Amino acid sequence: MKSILKITILLTSIGILLTSCGGVPEEKVTASDNVFSVAEVLEMVATENDVTRTLYTKAIVGGGKKQGMKFDEDWRKDDVEAGPLPALFLRGVATSIKKSPVPLGLYLGSDFPINAANKFEGQQAELFEEIKENQEPKFFYDEEQKLHTAMFADLASAGACVTCHNDHPQTSKSDWKLGDVMGATTWQYPKDSLSYKETVAVLNSYAKGTVDIYLEYLDEIDNFKESEKPEIGEKWPADGNYLPTAEVFLDSVRKLASYETMKKLVAAN
Amino acid sequence: MFKVSPLRKRQFFGIIIGLVVGVSLFFILTLDASEDYISLGPMNTGHNDLKCMACHADAKGNLMQQIQSNTAHAFGAREDGVDFGTSDVTVDNCLQCHDRPNDRHPNHRFSEPRFKDAIKNIDATTCITCHSEHHEERVTVASIDYCMNCHQDLEVENDPLDIDHKTLIAKEEWFTCIQCHDFHGNHKYEVATKLEDTIPMKVISEYFKGGEDPYGNDKKYIGLSMEAWLEQLDK
Repeated sequence: MKSILKITILLTSIGILLTSCGGVPEEKVTASDNVFSVAEVLEMVATENDVTRTLYTKAIVGGGKKQGMKFDEDWRKDDVEAGPLPALFLRGVATSIKKSPVPLGLYLGSDFPINAANKFEGQQAELFEEIKENQEPKFFYDEEQKLHTAMFADLASAGACVTCHNDHPQTSKSDWKLGDVMGATTWQYPKDSLSYKETVAVLNSYAKGTVDIYLEYLDEIDNFKESEKPEIGEKWPADGNYLPTAEVFLDSVRKLASYETMKKLVAAN
Repeated sequence: MFKVSPLRKRQFFGIIIGLVVGVSLFFILTLDASEDYISLGPMNTGHNDLKCMACHADAKGNLMQQIQSNTAHAFGAREDGVDFGTSDVTVDNCLQCHDRPNDRHPNHRFSEPRFKDAIKNIDATTCITCHSEHHEERVTVASIDYCMNCHQDLEVENDPLDIDHKTLIAKEEWFTCIQCHDFHGNHKYEVATKLEDTIPMKVISEYFKGGEDPYGNDKKYIGLSMEAWLEQLDK
């Protein structure tokens, strides 16, 4: 009897020791905190992306080329004095997002990519065919990766998209025209719904990504040895040999894109 | 001096010995000088000066909290378990020193669904697939014909090589890729235009084992040293 009591006391003590005082603090988000579906959030960030990419393509690449600025897929090479092409600008944003704590994935692909490695395959290729028909986004849950995935049409929104892709020596299609669905962005996120805080984190990580890659471009310009350096400040290439600072660039994106996003965020808060 | 009952003497001395051995082991094993003995194996090339803590950071919470959290997780009282002792080493640890904007094969790209089949053969989403640590080597990948997983359809415009890429691919000469192309694209060097002038496989193998760099030492980015990494953390 005595030994049973001892064992009971011992086990209870161990039990209390292993469970009392709490463990490592857990960051809990209850279901009621989640105010947006993953589809809504990905749509918001994809809209921001559309505006950012169009602004970069039209105002920086298109406008810059008229001023003699160069843009190249090898822009990071030391012997190339150029800026990132729009697809590589997006790659830069995606890389920055990956470095952030936000578990958001962003990729760009096409059925006629310049770089064969960016060609859609499997389910992405099938969905892209549908996207080309109606330009509607596609949402699916990737069972293998356990990720909610969305694909959005990437349109030829500026003359620079069309001319560069048509004239590129390694192009696999040379009759692109304005408004064509040239490819699609693919976005991935692990949760089916997001809290207000998580949604803002997703949007902020995208905005930070655009600033990061744009700053990298400005750094490259700083290291130009032979090419004429544009003046970095408030002005845009449309005014002459100028480029906006990262802050000015981001401000313009916000003016163009954030009203719709803000309306959704405010409505949910 | 307190008295120990003769019946409890063995228990008493057992506890004292246990405490002395435990404290001594804890003290000795946490000394910097003991790192070599604790390590799973010698560090890979270039990592010789790294301390354990460079990759194995303390896990969140103290040991008691970690035991409590994992016990709660085991009994279903908590959704997620926690790391015990040290945090798991992830790609992020590697990238803190080796993140290069010019990486032509950054890990994150391979998370995209279209690489699903490729990463079943070679999981390029993580560094340790090719750079498993504690082996005293540089590259530990099992076979260096991995380019075949993604580049089957490659065609090179104005192919500069005497035996063009298309032919090499048709012949499944996947071991030749690495004789011209360094995987991460960080070296600056002149690439041969004749296959016979490319880097011999034997030299590549030696390089992978930790030997001299056949692509040259002109690199755009150099991985951070332990000191530089610590300085960066302080910023």
